[in-house]
Amino acid sequence: MPKLIRGRVPTPERSVEERVRDFNEVNLGYTFELALKEAERCLQCPKEYAPCIKGCPVQIDIPGFIRALRVNKENPRKAVKEALGIIRANNALPAITGRVCPQEEQCEGVCVVGKVGDPINIGKLERFVADYAREHGIEDELLMEVVPNIRGNGKKVAVVGAGPAGLTCAAELAKMGYEVTIFEALHEPGGVLTYGIPEFRLPKEIVKKELEKVKKLGVKIETNVLVGKTITFEELREEFDAIFIGTGAGTPRIYPWPGVNLNGIYSANEFLTRINLMKAYKFPEYDTPIKVGRRVAVIGGGNTAMDAARSALRPGAEVWVLYRRTRKEMTAREEEIKHAEEEGVKFMFLVSPKRFIGDENGNLKAIELEKMELGEPDETGRRKPVPTGETFIAEFDTAIIAIGQTPNRTFLETVPNLKVDEKGRIVVDDNLMTSIPGVFAGGDAIRGEATVILAMGDGKKAAKTIHKYLSS
Amino acid sequence: MYKILEKREIAMRNTWYKIHAPHVAKKVQAGQFVIVRAFENGERIPLTPVMWDRDEGWIVLIVFTRGKTTMRMAMEMKEGDYLPDVVGPLGNPAPMERFGKVLAIGAYTGIVEVYPIARAWQKIGNDVTTLHVTFEPMIILKDHLERAVSRHIVEPVPLDPNLDLKENMRNVTKRLTEKVREMLEKEDYDLVFMVGPVGDQKAVFGIVKEFGIPMRVDLHPIMVDGSGMCGACRVTVGGQIKFACVDGPEFDAYQVDWDELIHRVGFYADMERKAMELYMAGLMSRGVV
Repeated sequence: MPKLIRGRVPTPERSVEERVRDFNEVNLGYTFELALKEAERCLQCPKEYAPCIKGCPVQIDIPGFIRALRVNKENPRKAVKEALGIIRANNALPAITGRVCPQEEQCEGVCVVGKVGDPINIGKLERFVADYAREHGIEDELLMEVVPNIRGNGKKVAVVGAGPAGLTCAAELAKMGYEVTIFEALHEPGGVLTYGIPEFRLPKEIVKKELEKVKKLGVKIETNVLVGKTITFEELREEFDAIFIGTGAGTPRIYPWPGVNLNGIYSANEFLTRINLMKAYKFPEYDTPIKVGRRVAVIGGGNTAMDAARSALRPGAEVWVLYRRTRKEMTAREEEIKHAEEEGVKFMFLVSPKRFIGDENGNLKAIELEKMELGEPDETGRRKPVPTGETFIAEFDTAIIAIGQTPNRTFLETVPNLKVDEKGRIVVDDNLMTSIPGVFAGGDAIRGEATVILAMGDGKKAAKTIHKYLSS
Repeated sequence: MYKILEKREIAMRNTWYKIHAPHVAKKVQAGQFVIVRAFENGERIPLTPVMWDRDEGWIVLIVFTRGKTTMRMAMEMKEGDYLPDVVGPLGNPAPMERFGKVLAIGAYTGIVEVYPIARAWQKIGNDVTTLHVTFEPMIILKDHLERAVSRHIVEPVPLDPNLDLKENMRNVTKRLTEKVREMLEKEDYDLVFMVGPVGDQKAVFGIVKEFGIPMRVDLHPIMVDGSGMCGACRVTVGGQIKFACVDGPEFDAYQVDWDELIHRVGFYADMERKAMELYMAGLMSRGVV
């Protein structure tokens, strides 16, 4: 039994002064030596008991991949190859999940070591394995062991949407021998990984590499195709043996506050799409403009709000996150809140916009905010914000609304027989099959708003049930 | 990649592109649009297919040179080149109803959007008059429209070199509103439809409203993705927030919050000007212009 080490091996991060003016990645990740040191802290709970595995939405054998690092410590290449093999059995995109999963609520949140000290830094270890493997060609080696064994079965599956759910489903089906085509409306695949999550949290180079892997498995990705408009759903039904819908939750929720259409008020989706997909922060080298004013208000308390706030900070604005509850109820990851605070994002809690006030040119100049207090817990278990009636006016020239997304209705409206619930989410059974036989769905399209890993879990599960459906 | 099969300047600052885009050609209907990304570092810009051939798989876009991206297209793209991205068709098709006697107005390059809709309306039994008001050297699609509808009227406005662009444009607005008033006084129309700069749309609506005639408009707010994902193109219609890309682009002119829309379309004007100036300076320093 190794001696319990309570403190985590910290991951190197770029200094605040350096990172706050560019979009490069903040966290630098472990070296092999540091990863090994952190891996040594793991108590190696037996697989059938290990809470971390149960806490992982896709049940990665976490003690197993950590052990692979430890037993091969003399040979980093071998260590990483073994570890990656173990992770890849359950998760096709570890470089991404290692960066964006809310590990503190999942695997790390239930880690036994966490009861007496810091939980094992599982996320950063996962990320290390994926990064080392990519940088040292190990990933390609593993892929080349898989690809020659793929035997086509003559059946075709269409995947709608190239986000985490669709990509995972497609990769799994391709490995089983299906001919898979993904249809993506934007000009670049990746979904939220591409348009939503900023470079400083998830470098686009990594997303590109992951996409290449999916393509190497034989998956075709057709961009610029909006299913329902470019190709009808009926045409897909005729051409393919099964369909997986992974259209995500891409419609921004815009509460109709008075003045919400003033200039300078963005949905978080627009703001982040301009920055991440269109590289507006490189204007005029890139043609897409963006205007970040002097004082920016970000409305919301989730990860998207943190991404928007930190993105707005980089061109030099003073950024405030306005949240109607308190820090305790924020849904953003602790690491993201911490990074935002370190970088200088300011927080105003227990406030909610009442109206947006414009100048004579229709530009935002101030927001009237209402003070809130916390009442009884609501259905999410968090105490509900209650208006106090007391208001004040704060000057802002830019606002970014990050109060959530709903499933993208553009596609759904073109499929009349598809059953959706009152929130616009596609209704599925235990096999993730929709109300239309042979049509499956997963990710945010069925969940509303969730995480990358849950979407990937759905994609993987759907691949299995699609296989079962098409084999029976 | 979408090949440019034909490219030619058809009028001052108006370029005709015939593009191989079979997926769009197969499905597009009058009233819908596409989003084009012409360069790897370019913007996503909404454009209207003016005509198309479903069998041969091409669409025609007539692009008005307005900002840096459209200027780059005009200056740098050649026949045989490829556009990286053309997505569509997007938006809702224009309603194909028998309205009766229709006046369809296009200001400047707005006429390119009017053409397929007016043609289709005429085909299903409407009596369509089209009106094109623009600067004299910018007249386009005259022959096409004369063949397609009952009556096509062109009101050319001379470009006065002694006036600046704003003053010249004011002349277009003046001629446009005068002509519309004159036409509405003379004849009864069941519907007025208009595409053009939002300020001119509002000005024409002001006249049409006096006559109490139904009016529909295609709107062009700033757009990024075009599929309901970003919310940049939101407009207030009938007191509700609508996304022009998925709820439009056609709306009831009586319900549109015109002043809000006018503010919103001008949001990036200063940055667009700066980008254009830098681009032109670059061309000049390389001796291109």
